[in-house]
Amino acid sequence: MLTLGSSSANGAFQSYILGSRLPIVVALLAAMVVSGVLGCVVGVTGLKRLRQDYQAMIMLVVSIMATTVIGADQAIVNGNAGLSLIPNPLASLNGSARSWGYVALVAVVCVVAYAFLRRFTRGPLGRSLRAMRDDEDAAVAIGKNVVAMRLMVQGVGGAYAGLSGALLAGFIGGWSPSSWQYVETLALLTAIIVGGIGNDGGVLLGTVIVPVLILQGVQFLPQISGHPGLVEDFGWMILGLLTIAFIFVRSQGLVPERRSGSRPPGSRDLDAPAFAPVPVPVPVPVPVPVPARVPVPVPVAAPVPARVPRVSARVLDRTPPVPAEGVQGEDILVVRDLVRNFGGVRAVDGATFAVRRGSITGLIGPNGAGKSTVLGIVSGFIPASSGSVRFEGTEVTDVAAYRRARRGLVRTFQLPHEFGRLTTIENLLAAVPRQRGETAMSVLAGTRYWRAQERELTERAEQLLEMFAMGEKAGDLARELSGGQKRMLEVMRALMVEPKLLLLDEPMAGLSPMLSERLERVCTEMRAGGLSILFVEHELGAVERLCDHVVVMAQGKVLSQGSMADLRANKEVQDAYIVG
Amino acid sequence: MKLLIEAIGFGIATGAVIALGAVGFSVQFGISNVLNITYGSMMTLAAFVGYAFLQLNVNVWIVMAITSAVIGVASVVFNRILLEPLKRRGTSFVGIIIATVSAAIVLQYAIVVFVGATAHSFGEQSGRTLTVLDLVFTTSQVIIICTTVALMVGFHLLLTRTKIGRAMRATSTNRTVARACGIRTERIIDFTWLLSGAMCGAAGVALAITTVSFDFTLGSTFLIYMIAAAVLGGIGQPYGAMVGGLVVGIASQVAGAYWSPAYQDVIAFVILIIMLLVRPRGLFSAGAVTRRLANT
Repeated sequence: MLTLGSSSANGAFQSYILGSRLPIVVALLAAMVVSGVLGCVVGVTGLKRLRQDYQAMIMLVVSIMATTVIGADQAIVNGNAGLSLIPNPLASLNGSARSWGYVALVAVVCVVAYAFLRRFTRGPLGRSLRAMRDDEDAAVAIGKNVVAMRLMVQGVGGAYAGLSGALLAGFIGGWSPSSWQYVETLALLTAIIVGGIGNDGGVLLGTVIVPVLILQGVQFLPQISGHPGLVEDFGWMILGLLTIAFIFVRSQGLVPERRSGSRPPGSRDLDAPAFAPVPVPVPVPVPVPVPARVPVPVPVAAPVPARVPRVSARVLDRTPPVPAEGVQGEDILVVRDLVRNFGGVRAVDGATFAVRRGSITGLIGPNGAGKSTVLGIVSGFIPASSGSVRFEGTEVTDVAAYRRARRGLVRTFQLPHEFGRLTTIENLLAAVPRQRGETAMSVLAGTRYWRAQERELTERAEQLLEMFAMGEKAGDLARELSGGQKRMLEVMRALMVEPKLLLLDEPMAGLSPMLSERLERVCTEMRAGGLSILFVEHELGAVERLCDHVVVMAQGKVLSQGSMADLRANKEVQDAYIVG
Repeated sequence: MKLLIEAIGFGIATGAVIALGAVGFSVQFGISNVLNITYGSMMTLAAFVGYAFLQLNVNVWIVMAITSAVIGVASVVFNRILLEPLKRRGTSFVGIIIATVSAAIVLQYAIVVFVGATAHSFGEQSGRTLTVLDLVFTTSQVIIICTTVALMVGFHLLLTRTKIGRAMRATSTNRTVARACGIRTERIIDFTWLLSGAMCGAAGVALAITTVSFDFTLGSTFLIYMIAAAVLGGIGQPYGAMVGGLVVGIASQVAGAYWSPAYQDVIAFVILIIMLLVRPRGLFSAGAVTRRLANT
């Protein structure tokens, strides 16, 4: 579903069960385990963050390679000749009883497999997987371990391939590598595309339609005399044409991907007018639910609108407590002698600065000063050539980006990185760390295991949406949002991660005055709630209004720092940035 | 030792054919940003088109030239009727790859339907041989090697020294911006497909000449070698594809000679996967070339 290939795993591994006269269940499980592991091995090759086209190439190559290697191996699987006389698991039955018995067996396995797959794809876990598919960088930024997730997908995909292969081998009683190649893989792809990529129901439909109607169907057509096999050849052509036609005309397949995935049962309809647009500007400092590690004192004068629900106590309880006093004023982030070379270019050249807890620190400087690179290094997206990054007193210079996000060091991107095929609210929900519904347990235990938490989170996401006056967009696909709304989404999503330090990369760029004002207000409120923000921005007005402390960078170095007023008076800064 | 030399000689000849195909593939991929799996089937088509002309008693090298032109035009048409419309619809990258895989299958089986699944031969195996430093080549192999080198040099000069080459590179980097700068990107894309298609045609005929016999699977089995060579040399770089072709060709022939012919293909795959993992931009990193060009 997410990566090409995996079907490569199919051919070979059924062979594992061969000969061994184990009970069918053990054999099937063994086939699943073996090909699951092989799927993971294949997945490892894709671990390097390669462009999609290169990944596709790897998958293609691996699948051909698997067939070739097996074809060349004589010892275990008898090379290209393949294996025959695989004992039918229902050998004790005879005649049609055996055939129908096997059909029943396959049907049972299918139902079980389908049920499992639904749990796998429909819940928060599936949502996170789809998020990763849409934008891997953004998935890392919100703390998803994409390596593990990809391996998991490969493993599960491989296991399913092994299962299907084992069932097939058991049925036809033989197997050879040449029986599963290019075109057979295409048949699978066709099935998926016709049915609807990204929808397990659609795939099921596709697999019924494509192989049954076309591949089996053509065999019942009369053969053209003098041309044996011609009809089958036409069958393959039709298959190819069908695939192309679907990509052209109905690329979402017969059954498209569901729009708002895992809306928790019982939650209110997000498209309903319950989410009337919040009047803008909203003169309401709403207590910010998300970063509220410190209990937020609600300003007494603030007229809190009754329909904004208060943060539920459970959500607050879950967030790890932070010692309330004495922390304000301490440095949450210390960057020391940071250097980053790109080839011969020294983008960051010994930058040293700190961000105080509970403050908004601005990072300004001319284009090319190295601000975004610093942000990239701090968030773990770009490795530092040398120097150190300390977050909350701990060295994080070599900590993986997703782990930093989980610790509360969360970034946004200069260009919007929305999960396009998820709805707005799904974008937010996907960002929540430590979800019950993302664990292996959730697949085993089912919806009950995570429903309650999901409801709570949905409530939190809805509050956030209202704060940003985007409640009515909750059910819209993120890719359909406007540029400004995508930026807002980006910030909201980062907030759902429960950051301690939020790294904003030019969040104001391209925002209308109304939206940027809203964003400014939210930032101020967040700070009041205890959140620290490091803020790269060119809009100096906003920097002046928001930032407690400003760091000026030029040519990879920290030129000066202080309050905006001090900096305006500083000749050096003027020359480097404000004037020049 | 003799075995090694023989294998190297064979590897160079194979490498030249791989390089010829790889350049076209690489340019297609590099300039129009499409991973075109149909390329292999196009090569098969070239072999059969060439075979048809050969039956008319046309000289084999003229056949190669004609076939190049035919496949060049066919590639432009293929791009225009299938890939461009898909791109305009915003089809995802994977979607386009699947479309090219499908088209490859359709073309492959269309060939089966028309000419059958039997093996054909150009019958160019015999003839005079040439010995260079203990390496023995047939005349046709020598001609193919020379053609490959000439085309490679020409292609490199085209990309780096001419205005249209610069326009091609600009289009590959950012089509929208290129169009905004006044480059007629549609024409550039057509031209790219024409050239790369011609390469594909030449490679198809060259492959058919050098193999003993071929059938409808000729190109699709060869595709993986070309991809390996293109990636090894760096996508979009003619010289890179040449070196890549040689490395893949020699490595697989030597492995075939010393180990087992069955594992010959595996070597190409292993090279490809290692390259993708270690240095996905190829041996000659594109960055260095771009910078050098920028300074000229």
